[in-house]
Amino acid sequence: MPFFGELFVSEILKKPVLDPKGEELGRVRDIVLVKGELFPKVSALIIEKKKRHFSLLWSDLNIFNKRIISSKTYGDNLHTYEFSEKDLLIARDIFDKQIVDANGVKVVRVNDVKLEGYNSEAILVAVDVGMRGIMRRLGFERSGEDMMKIFKRRLPYNLISWNYIQPLEPKLTKISLTVPRQMVSELHPADIAEIISQVSRKEGASFFKGLDVETAAEALSELQPDVQAAIITGMDTDKAADIIEEMPPDEAADVLSDLPVDKAKEILEHIEKEEAEDIQELLSHEEDTAGGLMTNDFISYHPDISVREAIEKFRKYAEDVETVYYIYLIDAEEKLLGVVSLRELLLAPLDATLSDIMETKLKTVTPDADEVEVAEIISKYNLVAIPVIDAEGFILGIVTIDDVIDRILPPAAKRKRRKV
Amino acid sequence: MRLWKRIAIFLSIMGPGIITANIDNDASGITTYSVAGARFGYSLLWTLIPTTVALVVIQEMVARMGAVTGKGLSDLIRENYGVKATFYMMTVLFIANFGTTVANFAGWAASMEILGLSKYLMVPVGALFIWILVVKGSYRFVERILLFACLLYFGYVLSGFMAKPDWSKVIYSTFVPQMKWEPEFFMLSMAIIGTTITPWMQFYLQSSIAEKGIKKEEYKASRLDVLIGCSITDIISFFIIVTCATTLFAQGIRINEASEAALALRPLAGNYAFLIFAVSLANAALLGAIIVPLATSYYICEAMGWERGVNKSFKEAPQFMGIYTFMIVIASLVIMIPEAPLVFLMVLSSVLNGLLLPFVLVYAISLVNNKSLMGDYVNPKIYNIISWGTVGVVLMLTIFFLMTVFIPLSAKYG
Repeated sequence: MPFFGELFVSEILKKPVLDPKGEELGRVRDIVLVKGELFPKVSALIIEKKKRHFSLLWSDLNIFNKRIISSKTYGDNLHTYEFSEKDLLIARDIFDKQIVDANGVKVVRVNDVKLEGYNSEAILVAVDVGMRGIMRRLGFERSGEDMMKIFKRRLPYNLISWNYIQPLEPKLTKISLTVPRQMVSELHPADIAEIISQVSRKEGASFFKGLDVETAAEALSELQPDVQAAIITGMDTDKAADIIEEMPPDEAADVLSDLPVDKAKEILEHIEKEEAEDIQELLSHEEDTAGGLMTNDFISYHPDISVREAIEKFRKYAEDVETVYYIYLIDAEEKLLGVVSLRELLLAPLDATLSDIMETKLKTVTPDADEVEVAEIISKYNLVAIPVIDAEGFILGIVTIDDVIDRILPPAAKRKRRKV
Repeated sequence: MRLWKRIAIFLSIMGPGIITANIDNDASGITTYSVAGARFGYSLLWTLIPTTVALVVIQEMVARMGAVTGKGLSDLIRENYGVKATFYMMTVLFIANFGTTVANFAGWAASMEILGLSKYLMVPVGALFIWILVVKGSYRFVERILLFACLLYFGYVLSGFMAKPDWSKVIYSTFVPQMKWEPEFFMLSMAIIGTTITPWMQFYLQSSIAEKGIKKEEYKASRLDVLIGCSITDIISFFIIVTCATTLFAQGIRINEASEAALALRPLAGNYAFLIFAVSLANAALLGAIIVPLATSYYICEAMGWERGVNKSFKEAPQFMGIYTFMIVIASLVIMIPEAPLVFLMVLSSVLNGLLLPFVLVYAISLVNNKSLMGDYVNPKIYNIISWGTVGVVLMLTIFFLMTVFIPLSAKYG
């Protein structure tokens, strides 16, 4: 049991490793990690002597703490070590890299790594992302602490437990646990989108690939168009199609319209026929018009049905519909006759027909109306959504207030990533 | 049809190279070119050609890294060379860029003074303007202002033509190298290289390429962007030298500052030439005063892993906002102190920039040759020869430059 207590990796890098007679075997160059039971554990030290590298297995260590590292074996028994991309090395692969703090929902940089003794293994419990870690790496943690004392403050520890870490690089992902994956799926899609927009495209894409379809669909629609396109282009068509299918048709159309034509076609072919038709219809409109903003996912009933029937229908089918606050009343040919709000529906006597309670003086827009005009009408009449109708009065879709707001005030992840 | 497609691709990619190269001609750059033209006439013009080649090679390398890795230069240095190298580099970068910010505020103050506005009014106004622009403004707005401000640089081309130079002489001096064996001649040629190739530009360019999400497939268009940007910046330097050479040098007028050049131009080239020169200087200085502090705070926070972003509040991103605000406030205060050691600060800043540049270039070259980062996009052999050659020349000039700074100092005090 060579290891008790805890230490930071930067404290032992370049420290000498001694053999049983006290001769120096070399200096600690790096530490190899492997998958452990719950946390990754140390499998070997890589030591450097005269520019040559050897690996010293964890089981061959005698004492391992921040002051003394000694081995049970002599130099002749050491194996030479070749650096390989397959191994996970703390200093090479974890130090200084960006990771996602799933608890604080932000991207941070690893300044140091904390190991702890557990069941005669050394396990990686946390990473240091704070000022203290930087100071320790620079070699003036002590003086930093003394300086803070003058101001009667303490240098805070800023550690993130391995549980809460979501690695960005595929190499780290292999060794991480299933726990953080679930944690990330529990984050708000808008937060996920912001994380993706803060890291490089490659890292963002690999992070995205780990999400489940539902979360991925929601996060995708929060991203900037060129990031969306880059991520979808980099995925295989089946997975991309699954995600696109999960999105509301208007947002799916937005994503597809930014893709190369061939790729968009290929994805559309993999999507269920009905859904694909909806999306294709939306794709034919200019992006900054009512037609480009609208979705064809809305609730429409025949005006002759009773309020009771309407409520039953609503309970049965409305779950997958994005915007449910208005029920549009259309005839057999899809001509728009009137609207009933969800509130009016719930307050109306159950035996009344919808045509009794519907509002017929509707505010509508044409598909080529400018987005600003649409926003003005929605704002003026305090609407949640507005129907888009063609010249003959047929309903084509609705523009919802959240889509309009997104155009006027883009969410953080949709704005440019950095401001220089 | 295919040609149109290519042009469309280029238009969507262009920007970072051109903006970076233009901001490179900030107040200290303009001062250097004006002084060079007034002191040696056309005879330093030829140095612009090798400088442009070196600038293109280096910027191309950095831009390629941005496109292939999708990361900024300070990111890559931190991830590949660790905290220590990054920390010391960022510390020096901070001090050097603080000096550059002071130089830009000085340029702004001087150009306002010659336009008849008091610097005690205009420096705080300028500082407040750029602070609010970034802290409260949106990025799109800032970018539009930047692109428009880049156009204002063409004022120098205009004033160059207004000076009515003897074009046959100008062209001869541009393509036929000439030497004058005077220490000042060497000082100024070093200053021209030093002010054209600066450390912070490399960080700025790579981040903006990575930022724009330019992919390696689109990289060819980016190369063109860099090439055009570098050419434009040196064409503008060329016209500044030509203007001052034609008017001031011919009359034997010596100057130490860009604003003096503008003043001296008035009787020689007319009121408009004076006005254009002064307004362009004000524009360049203000642009530099926006970008340099902003860029500095970004790279430092990026490398150190601190929260950053213009959208963030002081509480969310204390280091970022702190560095940015500190640089602007202290730099503008320094300008307003009567008898402040401005010259000393600027010399210090150029010494630090000179010291930092070889390091930045060596890191950049070794990163760009790292196969696990760059894949098939590592430097071709010929690029390595040119870029190491550039590092060699820059290193030599830096040593020369340090000698010219320290030898007179030690002669004075030693």
